[in-house]
Amino acid sequence: MIQLPDALAISLLVGAAAAFVLGEFALAAAEDLHAIYWLAVGMACVRAAVQVARPGAKT
Amino acid sequence: MGSAAQASVPGAYAWAATVAPAAWSRGGGLLAKGAALSALMTLAAGWIGERKWGGRARIASLWGFVLASAVTWSAAPTALAPLRIDAPRGIAGMLGWALFALALAAPSLEVPVAPALVAEGAPLVPRRRLARGDAAYLAFAAVVAVSMQFIGWRVAGAERALLVRFVALGAGLAVIDAAATIALARHARRATRPLRVRLRASMVALVLLGILFLTGLLFVLRG
Repeated sequence: MIQLPDALAISLLVGAAAAFVLGEFALAAAEDLHAIYWLAVGMACVRAAVQVARPGAKT
Repeated sequence: MGSAAQASVPGAYAWAATVAPAAWSRGGGLLAKGAALSALMTLAAGWIGERKWGGRARIASLWGFVLASAVTWSAAPTALAPLRIDAPRGIAGMLGWALFALALAAPSLEVPVAPALVAEGAPLVPRRRLARGDAAYLAFAAVVAVSMQFIGWRVAGAERALLVRFVALGAGLAVIDAAATIALARHARRATRPLRVRLRASMVALVLLGILFLTGLLFVLRG
């Protein structure tokens, strides 16, 4: 059975994927501020997902 | 993995760089498109058939792929005119064909296991069961990474198009790395740490995420 921390890590990973895709679309549409925002959200989500799944990990 | 399977990756790359653009160019007719598709199918058939028929399937795949590619180029000769081929694509195609030939001629071989190193007897009982589902994590990450490669192909301007490709590549690698780390972390003993400890460990990233979320919310509310 899936544990709560794993579910949180997966949710953050899905959020990171969505943020990266939105950032890509914004970058392609030359909306640089939106692109930077969504890519920063994606990186923060990736970092949080890894830290929740494996405390002390460096990513 | 056989040599045909190893050669199929650079073969597909060479096909995508040199054969497909010729078949689907302005002068490419039905014959060129059919030959290009049959070349790709021959490559896949060699991969599958090598397990059953061994070297014969490899040779048939090699000649089928090369001949079908040659038919494609013959059926669309204008696509190969010097003015229609740019230098980076030409170099990429040359590299693809060279790697295809190298992989077929000199495949990496498996090291044979010495009989003395093999322990006879019943299989050992595992100390504990590993959590299943790692493939699902990696499959999700791979789908996301591949999906990002389909974004931004109609961007005007070479610099921005290149930037979009680099960002897509980096983001895809980040998602794959994170998915692999999360999947592997489930097998570690310390994965049983309580949620409170984990949240404390990831506090910096979560606070940063919260600040970004609030910033985005403020921007939306301001219109």
